[in-house]
Amino acid sequence: MDQQPLIRTTGLSYRYSRDVQTLSGINLHVERGSIYGFLGPNGSGKTTTLSLLLGLLNNQAGDIEIFGQHLHRNREAILGRIGSLIETPSLYGHLTARENLEVYRSTYGASKARIDEVLDIVGLGDTGRKVAKKFSLGMKQRLAIALALLPAPELLILDEPSNGLDPAGIIELRALVKKLNREHGMTILISSHLLGEIEKMVSHVGIIYKGKMQFQGTLAGLHGFQRQGARLHLRTSDNEAARLLLGEYAPRVGADGLHVAFENNAQVAAINRRLTGQGIDVFLLHPKESDLEQLFIDLTTAHA
Amino acid sequence: MKLLTALRAERLKSKRTASVYLTLIGSAFVPFLFLLNVLTGGSDLKALAKDPLNSAFELGAERTGVLFFPLFVILVCTLLPQIEYRNNTWKQVFASPQAKASVFLAKFLNINRLLLLFLLAHLVFMAVAVLVMHVARPDLHLLEQPFDFGRVALRTGNMYVTMLAVCALQFWLGLRFRNFVVPTAVGFVLWVTGMMMALEFRTALVDYFPYCFHLFPLSPQLQPRLPQVAWTSAGYTFLFLGLGFLDFRRRRLTSA
Repeated sequence: MDQQPLIRTTGLSYRYSRDVQTLSGINLHVERGSIYGFLGPNGSGKTTTLSLLLGLLNNQAGDIEIFGQHLHRNREAILGRIGSLIETPSLYGHLTARENLEVYRSTYGASKARIDEVLDIVGLGDTGRKVAKKFSLGMKQRLAIALALLPAPELLILDEPSNGLDPAGIIELRALVKKLNREHGMTILISSHLLGEIEKMVSHVGIIYKGKMQFQGTLAGLHGFQRQGARLHLRTSDNEAARLLLGEYAPRVGADGLHVAFENNAQVAAINRRLTGQGIDVFLLHPKESDLEQLFIDLTTAHA
Repeated sequence: MKLLTALRAERLKSKRTASVYLTLIGSAFVPFLFLLNVLTGGSDLKALAKDPLNSAFELGAERTGVLFFPLFVILVCTLLPQIEYRNNTWKQVFASPQAKASVFLAKFLNINRLLLLFLLAHLVFMAVAVLVMHVARPDLHLLEQPFDFGRVALRTGNMYVTMLAVCALQFWLGLRFRNFVVPTAVGFVLWVTGMMMALEFRTALVDYFPYCFHLFPLSPQLQPRLPQVAWTSAGYTFLFLGLGFLDFRRRRLTSA
């Protein structure tokens, strides 16, 4: 994998009004060939970041480099290599699926055959004369994805693409994203406010909250971060003596007992042996591993 | 080339929209009424007593040029930019690899395509009306008269040029306001003001007020100043387009 990030933002900041800072100092690094999950609760700044990446908003502070080129100096050349879907599908309701794609075909320099290809990819090859306003929300979303795929992009930016999709549609979308990444080598930046929805398909994760990046790295890195957050809850006959005895585990005494960091079950057993070996009775021994969902909540609420 | 690509996209977007139907129905209105009036022995028969063929086209141009063409321009300049607002598609337009200047100019040229289609369709419908009149009323000897095509072409060209300033201003307003009612209402009020200035108050300001310009090719009193007004209209067109583009480039049209 090329080590040069496909997207690199440096100190990206944005404000819609003078007194509201929507983004501050966002340093986004998206590796070539990755599926990057951009996570954050609603209103955290995901769409603003993606809009800046597509030049939909004027850059106020910071730099944006895509494909190693400065966005604002090479806007058209860069946008020609990106497919995007921002928020709700952008479709002309009075036109058919094919006509909607035909509007942009020449702009992206795509062939007529490419329209059939992308319609087949999203399963809308047989909609005929039906106009887009008569499509279900799921069909509209799929047509918007077809539009994003029209230029055979190197980079696909999808902002909350599963909005409005039923569970089967979400599973189909997940399979499609993986297929595009694996078979077509597309780098995909996908945003969501639900960790569970995208953790099964992403290789990298960025977590944003209140306009600031809370975490950025590989999914494995996030799991490591998760393990670091695992705590063992203890209640003993002498919590203060136990705290002194377990000093190396960074114990913390609370009203409900003692909390110590741990990494694996062997450590839990060793802690228990040491306490009982020193004559301290153990009443409660409860390992609490934070799952990713809890970690996401922790990361996005810790600084609230 | 990029402008042509953008223009092609705009043409595709306006397919099956109300603006295309409005063009055809609006341009057929006067020829149809004129035909009905002649066939039912109405007052237009008197106007056709002398040089009937050229008089028919002149009457048609007057009625269309004073009322239907300006109203059509106001409506179509508002309707076409609304396509993007109504479908929430501005963000897709700006995320595609095309310059804002191309998008802006292509939209303006697409409107002008419909303006020219309106004028051309009006002439075609007038020709059809004349043919039907000739069959129904051979005593008018309509097709036995010489046809002054040059006069018709010049008048049609003047009708187009004198409406360009209004077209550019209404286009700007149509892009500026998400709400369809605002630019339409502003256009109607200014059009009525222009008609009152020219026909009621007969003020000298008509030479500078764009919503009066469409009367110059049609009114014998105003015609002597037509060349100067045609240039003024062209100047206003560039001014409004320039200001409109600066505003278009500066504003955030997406909902993001």
